[in-house]
Amino acid sequence: MAKAEYTVLGTSPARMGGVERVIGKGIYGIDLALKDELHGGILRSQYAHAKIVSIDTSEARKLPGVHAVVTAVDAPDVRYGRTYIDRYMLAKNKVRYMGDPVAAVAADSPAIVKQALKKIKVVYEPLPVVIDQEEAMKPEAPTLHDDMPLPKNLPEGVKVKNVCSYTVVHVGDPDKAMAEADVVVDEVYETKMIHPQYLEPRIAAAQVEPDGRITVWANAQAPFGVRTDVARLLGVPLNRVRVLSTELGGGFGGKASGITSGAAIEPICALLAVKAKRPVMIVLDKAEETISTTIRSGAKMYIKTGVKKDGTIVARTGKVVYDAGAYSGFGAMAGARCTNMLGGWYLMPNCHIDGYVVYTNKQVCGPVRGPGGPQAAFAVESHMDSLAAKLGMDPIEFRLKNTPKAGDKIVGVPKLRDVSLDETITTAAEKIGFKQVGAQFVAPALGKNQGIGIATGSWIESAGPGGGAVVKVNEDGSVTVHIGKIDMGTAPRFGIPLIAAEELGVPVSDVTVVNVDTDASPWDAGTVGSRAIIVSGTATKLAAIDARNQLFKMAASQLEASPDDLEIKDKQIRVKGTPSKSVALATIATNAHNVIGEVIGRGYCDNLAMMAEEKAHGNSPPFTTHACIVEVSPDTGNVKILKYVAVHDVGFPIHPVAVEGQIEGATAMSIGQALCEQVVFDNNGRTMNPSFVDYLMPTINMMPRIETTLVHGYPGAGPYGAKGAGEIACVPPMAAIANAIYNATGVRIHKLPLSPENVLRGLKAAGKA
Amino acid sequence: MSLTINTTINGTPVSASAEPSTSLLEFLRDTLEYKGTKLCCNTGECGACTIIFNGKPINSCVTMAADAIGAQITTIEGLADGDTLHPVQQAFIDTGAVQCGYCTPGYIISVKVLLDRTTKPTAEDIEEAVSGNICRCTGYTKIVDAIQLAADRMAGRS
Repeated sequence: MAKAEYTVLGTSPARMGGVERVIGKGIYGIDLALKDELHGGILRSQYAHAKIVSIDTSEARKLPGVHAVVTAVDAPDVRYGRTYIDRYMLAKNKVRYMGDPVAAVAADSPAIVKQALKKIKVVYEPLPVVIDQEEAMKPEAPTLHDDMPLPKNLPEGVKVKNVCSYTVVHVGDPDKAMAEADVVVDEVYETKMIHPQYLEPRIAAAQVEPDGRITVWANAQAPFGVRTDVARLLGVPLNRVRVLSTELGGGFGGKASGITSGAAIEPICALLAVKAKRPVMIVLDKAEETISTTIRSGAKMYIKTGVKKDGTIVARTGKVVYDAGAYSGFGAMAGARCTNMLGGWYLMPNCHIDGYVVYTNKQVCGPVRGPGGPQAAFAVESHMDSLAAKLGMDPIEFRLKNTPKAGDKIVGVPKLRDVSLDETITTAAEKIGFKQVGAQFVAPALGKNQGIGIATGSWIESAGPGGGAVVKVNEDGSVTVHIGKIDMGTAPRFGIPLIAAEELGVPVSDVTVVNVDTDASPWDAGTVGSRAIIVSGTATKLAAIDARNQLFKMAASQLEASPDDLEIKDKQIRVKGTPSKSVALATIATNAHNVIGEVIGRGYCDNLAMMAEEKAHGNSPPFTTHACIVEVSPDTGNVKILKYVAVHDVGFPIHPVAVEGQIEGATAMSIGQALCEQVVFDNNGRTMNPSFVDYLMPTINMMPRIETTLVHGYPGAGPYGAKGAGEIACVPPMAAIANAIYNATGVRIHKLPLSPENVLRGLKAAGKA
Repeated sequence: MSLTINTTINGTPVSASAEPSTSLLEFLRDTLEYKGTKLCCNTGECGACTIIFNGKPINSCVTMAADAIGAQITTIEGLADGDTLHPVQQAFIDTGAVQCGYCTPGYIISVKVLLDRTTKPTAEDIEEAVSGNICRCTGYTKIVDAIQLAADRMAGRS
């Protein structure tokens, strides 16, 4: 759709909420201050796996200034979880990772909290610890959950343990096709756990109101999920819990408490407030944050592909072993996505992949930016270059040979409506400097130790249930939008205001999108899964149209015209073609008080129907290709990115600068995972790098400029043909960089990170350093 | 034993007491309620708590409140002139460099110090000035654009 059709859609006005952020007045979770508040703190397990023999809180309770000490016995005997109901808010009987919450304290000062936590005596009986997910599957491994059955769909005869979920992809006859292939490459790839490392610490604050209702403040990505968890774990109805969102200083899936049920601190805080009969606030410090929040899991991926001499892929088999961590959290979903994506987004007539999601004694897997996708893409797209090398074929030509066209199926999408994969590949090739000569792509001249790499990706956005929007037109013509999604620098305060402004003919500055209040906002699953523009954008569009229809119905009699003949421009409702026949939007909105009460438009995005298999995401998922040039130091193994291009089809970009920002940020996160990031555990399950001193992540020094290109997009399932943009850019970077290193050195590195140490080891093993 | 801290914040003399162990960040945020300066790593690694201290950008989380005695401090709250934003603040908004916004105050402070020194910063100048400020949202690309735009505006080039 052309930009010219719209007034504000497709433009990039200043974001809502920008001014308060640059003057330091945005109220983030950490900036809250409740009258009379107590400080809360959590005692976390110092063992990665142990039986809890006893907990004695008596000394802590005696400490002056302590107002409440809680353990599992102080809460209803209720567990929670996302896929499986497999954990307690405070550990009962057993701890399963070093950081599992065991007890909590509310006291007058942080210092007293610290003292009180030290005085809680927990007697543990240590159990054997298992850190590696493949080790955890073996019969001799310790059992993490005695009462969790193995998945019912496991293939017959498979002897495994600690498996929390199993997914299988099966297409055609892969064994027969593999036997008939001319070239077969069989590889194993591995990614490590990374931490989302949002800058604002997680907080929770809670107070009991005079009528006994509980108010919770959360900087969580899923406020309604937080309400569900608090109500469930405290044993109260949903209408007795109100969750208010603060501003949120970065989440990336790590603050998806309420969705993952992996690291919820809000129910613990609410329990403390109930017991202390005072408001309580918990703030996590960086070390506690790093060991306890939900993370991007590591995956071990076996991938074998058979190809004909002409470069046609005929078969793939593989296995994914995905780390769930100590509880099911988001592991089942992320692992299933990784399993599907190991089938790739190319034509794949025959394929079999087994996906195991496995409990280990580590912190819990969350839906961190593209859950499952970046891991799979590291394997798939590194492997594509290995195949091209063995075939003696140009990697770009090889990819183009196997890209799907409209009407084709790929793993996970039965029939594609539109495919932009080709376009992203050729555009990225051109932007990074390749010259196309016939079917060949000629690389630009590179310096010594330099290499060029390319990797593609796709992503099915917007998982999960639908969500709503309420659009109110106030009597002065200004517009208030309620959605159930918190703003974290994504669509809620970039693209969403534009949608309401467009449909209601008001300036963007007349639109306010308010933060979530579960008492007032429409229900939503949260700001996760690239859902904001798709679910809330669709719902906002429909709600604004509903409000407009109400306005037109009232204005029609006054203007002596049919509602169908009206339009809103510049805050005037007027007869199309006869602008002189008009009435102010504010006048009709005011009159509404005597007619319908108030102009309240309601919209709902039926996400499940929209994403149903027969429609498979409108059959037009987003595609991307990234390309880069790197320089590898043969002395140190250090990899420097000299140039980086990211080419994306995002359908129609509603707020192009916001879309670019999402792409650049997601790319940076995966560049971090590619080059340096990982959470390191010792054999006892202790996190060895829980601070920013030791956890390396990209600073400006190691980041190239991300040169983003939005190619002509096919319409996606979102409003006006938009596609989700928050996660997909996390998919290709790791393989793009690994392929550039291979191009520079001839050395293929199968295990992340591509750190100086690992690169140097690879170079030495190949006799190149 | 409490200390009396007499200091100047954003041009205003301030006097308040603090424990000797109080960090300058805690003093600013918890005692004086200048909450625009942000807490993140608390170990001087991320730059979210950057303030201007006697003309230099520092991490207030690893500075003691006692060090502020007699100092001139500028926080993010001190940059705008009434409703008129400082050019660096405006440039961050105009280029889309503000996503979650949590690193933004510290970033803007570091950039202001740089551009007070030179409005023709080289790429190396920019890198050096903000290498201690971590941003997890933007990938830094739009932040560099913001710095360049602010420099151009401050020099009258745009």
